[in-house]
Amino acid sequence: METVLEVRRARHSYGSTPALAGVDLDVGAGECVALLGPNGAGKTTLVNLVVGLLPAKEGRVRVCGGDPRIASTRRRLGVVQQSLGFPTTLKVVELVTGAAVRAGMPRSASGPVMAELDLTDLAGRRAAKLSGGQKQRLQLAMALVADPRLLVLDEPTAGLDVPARKRFWQLLAQRRERGTGVLVTTHLIEESSAVADRVVVLDHGRVLAGGTPDELVARLPDRTVIARTALGRDRLAMLPGVVSVRNDGEHVHLGTRTPEALLRVLLAQDPGLSDLRVEGAGLEEAVAGLIKRERGAA
Amino acid sequence: MTVHISGKVFGVELTDELRGIVREPTALFFSIVMPVAFFGLFVSLFGKFSSGGLSAGTTMVATFGAFGVVSVVLMNPGIGVAADRERGWLRAKQVSAVPIGVTLAAKVVAALPYAAGVLLAMTATAAVTGALDAPVTALLRILAVLMVGALPFALLSLAVGFQTGAGAATAVLNAILIPSAVLSGLWMPLEIMPAFFGDIAPFLPTYHLARLALAQLTGAPVLTHVLVLLGTTIVAAALAALSYRHARS
Repeated sequence: METVLEVRRARHSYGSTPALAGVDLDVGAGECVALLGPNGAGKTTLVNLVVGLLPAKEGRVRVCGGDPRIASTRRRLGVVQQSLGFPTTLKVVELVTGAAVRAGMPRSASGPVMAELDLTDLAGRRAAKLSGGQKQRLQLAMALVADPRLLVLDEPTAGLDVPARKRFWQLLAQRRERGTGVLVTTHLIEESSAVADRVVVLDHGRVLAGGTPDELVARLPDRTVIARTALGRDRLAMLPGVVSVRNDGEHVHLGTRTPEALLRVLLAQDPGLSDLRVEGAGLEEAVAGLIKRERGAA
Repeated sequence: MTVHISGKVFGVELTDELRGIVREPTALFFSIVMPVAFFGLFVSLFGKFSSGGLSAGTTMVATFGAFGVVSVVLMNPGIGVAADRERGWLRAKQVSAVPIGVTLAAKVVAALPYAAGVLLAMTATAAVTGALDAPVTALLRILAVLMVGALPFALLSLAVGFQTGAGAATAVLNAILIPSAVLSGLWMPLEIMPAFFGDIAPFLPTYHLARLALAQLTGAPVLTHVLVLLGTTIVAAALAALSYRHARS
């Protein structure tokens, strides 16, 4: 498989504060890689290196074999930012056509991409007045009109409702079939589990783990205890054996390696506990467990 | 091929900037109507006074015209780039295939028709009040001098825009523009101002720009003014580059 992104031993620091401590990362053509990790893990710094906004102080970053700091290399790169604010004076069609010309494509390239992303009817609208989902589709259109080999998506579905998210990933799947590689950062870990071929977990500027979502989940023998409880999040986090706490509607998901012991404590502390079940851990619990284990070992 | 694509890309960048100007008439009002209205007031009060064989209305096309041009090129690119940075649009441009210099050059060039519009409106106002007495060639030379001489102010504007929000950029750039204009004699001749204004003025690039424009009417020597403006351009370019490198994200 052709490699569209190659990061080797990349290091970066802000003054004396290290942000990346020797990161390796590859994205192949048509592959989707999700970059996960807590705030301050180094995801933004790594993305900034990949899109050419920052230089690697050590190591190497190559997009389709070229240095992304050079403008001509960025022709092969499409970027979708989290909640980009468009200029208030420009219309949808002007932005997509402009993006085509900037990438060295003919103006006519904008029509098919706008149709593909359901933007044709919005062509004459001012971009700043679009809804959140429409704006993300517009950003994607501006990125795709250049027919990039690598797409970098920074929290691309943040703020979108579930149907809009589904539509976003469907559109990307079509492009991936045509060989476009995708690097995505997201806080929606379960979403990345559904769309990514591989997941890379970063913490403190280092790669903690990488592999398919199933491989990562299998790496930890964790279980998830799901229940409705009156106990608060802080108190739940303090219970013995709990490695992660996640709210999901009225339910709480507790990651643990000792579900039997946790169940005994839960039932003792909350007599009103209901809707109880135990499942294998999901990706979110696996990532939280990996980070907790590595930090504990450090 | 590269030159052809660069020309097309610059065309797209420039068109986007011009659309921004045309589609926001409020900005047009403050950048063109206000300076021209002030000019109209001053020229109708003092325009027919004469000094050195030139009417005040004619010399004011050079001096007040310098103010009009500087106010446009000092305010527009900086406030625009600050607004773009705040909304994440500058970042989108930085990660695109367009060299950032092309984007910034388009912002500066887009301000020039605006600036020319201000100067032409002032010239027409002076003519209508009967206070204009200069050949067209001299007026065209003033236009050319002010357009080219505006470059260091546009670069300074970008330097401020890379570091501040759009609101703060407006305040900071006005804080540079208004005192510079008054102390350089762009609004009223230095001869009728307190003496210390005349001591300070030669240290200000706005003074040298106005004197260079005035020299197109009087034939006075221009070398000093050209050198000062060249030096200011180099300093402003370095400041803009430094400011871009350390731009707040």
